[in-house]
Amino acid sequence: MPAILKAENIEKYYGNKSNLTKALDGIGFEVEAGEFVGIMGASGSGKTTLLNCISTIDSASAGKILINGKDITAMSPKAVAKFRRKSLGFIFQDFNLLDTLTAYENIALALSILKTPAKEIDARVRNVAEVLGISETLGKYPYQMSGGQRQRVACARAIVANPSLILADEPTGALDSRSARTLLESFRQLVRDLNATILMVTHDAFSASYCSRILFIRDGRLFHELIRSDESRKQFFDRIIEVVSLLGGDSVEIC
Amino acid sequence: MKSADIALRNVKKSLRDYAVYFLTLTFGVCIFYVFNALESQQEIMNVTKSQAAIFKELGSMMDAISAFISIILGFLIVYANRFLIKRRKKEFGVYLMLGMEKLKVSGILVMETLYVGFFSLLAGLAMGVMLSQGMALVTAKLLQASVSSFKFMFSSAALLKTIIYFGVIFLLALIFNTYAINKQTLVGLLYANRKNESFKTPRLSISVAIFLLAIGCLGYAYKIVLGVGPSSIITDFKSFTAAVSLGAAGTFLFFFSMSGFFLKLIQQSKSLYLKNLNMFVLRQINSKINTAYVSMTMVCLMLFVSVCTLSTGMGLSSNISGKMKEEAPFDASLTAYGTQDENGSPVEAYPGYDLVAAAKEQGLDLDALSSRYLAVRYYGGEKTIDLELENDSAGIILDTKAVFIKLSDYNAVLEMEGLAPITLGENEYAVNYAPINLSVRKAMDKYMENADVITLRGVDLRTSPKNLRRYILEVSKNLDYDANIIVNDELVEGLPILRDTLHMNYLIQNESSERMFREKLSGIRLSANSKLQLLTREDVMETSNSATTMVTYLSVYLGIIFLIAAASVLAIGQLSETSDNIYRYGLLRKLGTDDKMINKALLSQISIYFGVPMMLAIVHSVVGISAADRLVINFDRGNILSGSLFTSCIILIIYFGYFLATYHGGKGILTRDYYLQRKGIE
Repeated sequence: MPAILKAENIEKYYGNKSNLTKALDGIGFEVEAGEFVGIMGASGSGKTTLLNCISTIDSASAGKILINGKDITAMSPKAVAKFRRKSLGFIFQDFNLLDTLTAYENIALALSILKTPAKEIDARVRNVAEVLGISETLGKYPYQMSGGQRQRVACARAIVANPSLILADEPTGALDSRSARTLLESFRQLVRDLNATILMVTHDAFSASYCSRILFIRDGRLFHELIRSDESRKQFFDRIIEVVSLLGGDSVEIC
Repeated sequence: MKSADIALRNVKKSLRDYAVYFLTLTFGVCIFYVFNALESQQEIMNVTKSQAAIFKELGSMMDAISAFISIILGFLIVYANRFLIKRRKKEFGVYLMLGMEKLKVSGILVMETLYVGFFSLLAGLAMGVMLSQGMALVTAKLLQASVSSFKFMFSSAALLKTIIYFGVIFLLALIFNTYAINKQTLVGLLYANRKNESFKTPRLSISVAIFLLAIGCLGYAYKIVLGVGPSSIITDFKSFTAAVSLGAAGTFLFFFSMSGFFLKLIQQSKSLYLKNLNMFVLRQINSKINTAYVSMTMVCLMLFVSVCTLSTGMGLSSNISGKMKEEAPFDASLTAYGTQDENGSPVEAYPGYDLVAAAKEQGLDLDALSSRYLAVRYYGGEKTIDLELENDSAGIILDTKAVFIKLSDYNAVLEMEGLAPITLGENEYAVNYAPINLSVRKAMDKYMENADVITLRGVDLRTSPKNLRRYILEVSKNLDYDANIIVNDELVEGLPILRDTLHMNYLIQNESSERMFREKLSGIRLSANSKLQLLTREDVMETSNSATTMVTYLSVYLGIIFLIAAASVLAIGQLSETSDNIYRYGLLRKLGTDDKMINKALLSQISIYFGVPMMLAIVHSVVGISAADRLVINFDRGNILSGSLFTSCIILIIYFGYFLATYHGGKGILTRDYYLQRKGIE
């Protein structure tokens, strides 16, 4: 299985020489196609910085990030934008849907940016909406939808262009537990049925228990790695909790 | 930090985003000063008495117009302030949350308004004083006055007036701002940006119905303007009001219906709608057009007023000056005529004078003073020429009494003008009229097709179209309807003498010979019931120059103020909308949209906002100008369309300048925000 994402020794500094903060301190890992990887860590551990570096929203101070074999740290701003719309899909904590557009249009936007022919757009939007169970919602504006529906629309937008890698930043952060569960089931479905690759940042052990592999980060460094075996989700959750309690910092939500 | 410091810092910060607002204010102040300082420009010119009178008249006209202009500028400033406050709600909310009193927040705003007012007033006045120096040369040219000595002009009266007027305007803006802040609640200010817009797009069928209604209103208004006679447009107050109110209502409904209509229309074409960021742009516009149609309507109507005044005014003035110059074929014409009672009939028969001899009696040696002179006698009678003036629904019948001239006199006048003489057959007469008025020309052509038979001394005289001449025979200020009948010399005997006119060309053309003529000729004494009138080319020119100057300045003043008001309302609206939408554009960037695509989206959004009102305004203007054109033909002279072309270019340049400034300003807002984000500052 080829690696979709290969991060080598990433470092990210803030501040100047006299007062240097290392947000990321030599992190390296690989993500293969069809994996659902979670990144966990306490607040300030560097997980969002890591995601920003991978998503090209921020740039790493040192190290290499290869996506599909291409080093994104060495790209020009224009190439970065092109790369981002072609190869990456985003899901944000606060959904980030455009409130002026309907659900359909929000999803179609991702394809419009790619200059996909109009005929193709319609079929693909309807197709992905079907998979995520939001066909009924397509004509609604974001403010007419529930939080769960909004996040699934955001999810549809992220997946519709068939990106190599979907990056999700605390996608369940603004959802109630029921909606969160539906969304996470959808993620697993995307991985299983559409062979999507998802990298999800979360501090919530319950959300993390849906992943196939979890990377734990502390003080900008890789602290531990958990791989889900044939165990049940509950068992996996318990193992996560053990590591989280070792990590310290964050209070743990109960399943 | 004192509130004055915060205010100054805020002004500096927003200077970049709202350069357009500051520039417009400065420009407004500048123009206000320049036109109010017109009167002081005579300092550098050698002005005649009548030119001084023109300056005085200009001054009082500018006084009246300025009051009106200040109302428009007042509206503009209050409107702009509303936008500026709306955009900064959150900032004020933070001040309040930090425990600042409302009074102090208002204080910051007061200081800001004062700073902005002070700087724009200062800059505007400086610009105005400089521009005023150049304007003086234009005025001198328009009035054909000579510049005596070029020195620095400064009108303290205009300065004071500008300061007072704008002081009052800023004071109003200040009161308004304070009120706007005071009525806000903290929660409203803090969550100003998060409020969900509600989209109350009317149903398509309703939109279409309103759209059709708008088209109907506009069509009917156009029909009134174009259909009925133009003279009745200004005389018939009722249809004028109807046209204006229907036009305004139609414009309003047009933009109102566009909100639902436009989007739905484009949505029909999936390939267009889903292409690039079209969908985003259209939705952006649609989300705002519900509130923007009022300002769109205002902008459209202001542009309409601007285009019409500028082009009609320019066209009119160039025509007046052009035509008037042709109207004076000689340096001077001295006319002796009998006085009339109130009914227009002569008090006693005018005996006729030999003006050449009368001049000699006064010791005026015509041979020594003039290169050419010529006395012409005009005869009256009962005969009238009935002209049916066209392009008026009522149809005016002009029945002027015919004025007869001997063929020899007529040919002598032509010869003095350097024109070929004419010949007449035994039973023929010719008609001459001054080709000033187009409708008279048409009516005259028609008349000649089937001209009356005139009987003089028992001889029946006829004429044909080939005997129609179009020359100006004397120096006069009003030649519109003068028609002369030229007959063979012996036939005038027995007709009553109407007047005698002495035409002269000066030997040396300067002011002193003009003055001498005037003095000497005024000494000529005639009988009690006869009068003398001297009209010189100079007189005609001054009338024309005065009219030209008035019309030009009036139209430029009004037109430019309306134009910059309209353009800056658009510009400020668009810029503040762009900064409101930073997060939307930011999201597009996160999704991987590149700068080129985003800029294109911004460009097309701004283009639509600038283009749509302008397009409707152009349609309005074409109708308005063509109506004004016919009005001018009927009442005055000439054709104003030629003037429109030149002014259209100027209008488009200014408008386009505002458009570009808005686009670059908006691009700046978005780019700056993006890089701030990338650097992690925000």
